[in-house]
Amino acid sequence: MSEHLRYAEGGEVHLDFHGATNTTIDFIISRYGVEAMDAIFRRVGKDVYRSIHDDLVAGDTGQLVRHWRHFFTRENCDYDIDVGADEIVLTVRHCTAWHHVAKLVGTPSPHFCDQTSRTNEALAEGSPYAIDTEITGPGSCRQVIRRRA
Amino acid sequence: MIPSDHFTRFYNEVFKFLESQGEDQLQAYFLAISKNQEKHILELIETKGLEGMEEYWTHIKIEENCDMDIDRNEDRLELRMNVCPSLSKVMDNDAEPMGRYCDHCAGWIGPIFDKTGYHLVYDVIDRKKPQCVMRVFKDAAKAKEAEKDVKLLMGWPGHKV
Repeated sequence: MSEHLRYAEGGEVHLDFHGATNTTIDFIISRYGVEAMDAIFRRVGKDVYRSIHDDLVAGDTGQLVRHWRHFFTRENCDYDIDVGADEIVLTVRHCTAWHHVAKLVGTPSPHFCDQTSRTNEALAEGSPYAIDTEITGPGSCRQVIRRRA
Repeated sequence: MIPSDHFTRFYNEVFKFLESQGEDQLQAYFLAISKNQEKHILELIETKGLEGMEEYWTHIKIEENCDMDIDRNEDRLELRMNVCPSLSKVMDNDAEPMGRYCDHCAGWIGPIFDKTGYHLVYDVIDRKKPQCVMRVFKDAAKAKEAEKDVKLLMGWPGHKV
């Protein structure tokens, strides 16, 4: 398993970008439909995060787990990751992105969490793994990596 | 969650899609983002003018990790971006950068200055280099004069150059 973390960042975080993501999701879906938005998230999963995608295709989940730890910690989310023998479970109890957008606009787009679900699916596409995202409440979710049957 | 750190790379993918749909679609998106940004900057400009702009971009300089010089006098505000973190991330990217990525900046802020009666002169210099100079004037004639010195002047929705 590699120790690589291609997309690490440092310095401050600008949470208002999540508000612009929310605006973008509403804009794209209102004009082009949810399929167009899903296609953009698919490019994020496969092209923007190519290094993680390639690792998953090669059977290595390590970078994705480190990526989760790095960014959920940077954004001060309440979360934990359980790495088990059969599955890896990321439990997000308080998603900073969702709650920041709620603070800015009241109610985030009903498709706000598609950025997670669809990007996860694209990351795992063509790999031995599936990544399932279950929204468990407002600003909380469970993301599970497991080998495909 | 797409981390806020990676919004710019997501933005880049959105721009590529919209560019494929037509220039009017890209311009409409800039206006949607501009409207979104009003909640962060409009009141500052309306109540404090150039000082309010300086306050906003001083905050942005910190949160977005910009290498940027801010200079204000009674006539104008100047932002000199030495290293733009936004374009830098888009260029250091496993996906292809959108060739006109820099256009979004004037694209969202220009309409806000139009709305508040200020005059923007946005010099992108070179779309492949993460640096630019933005000047905002109170006086239209001074802005027009400043346009003579720019290398690559940006327009925005409702203000073609």
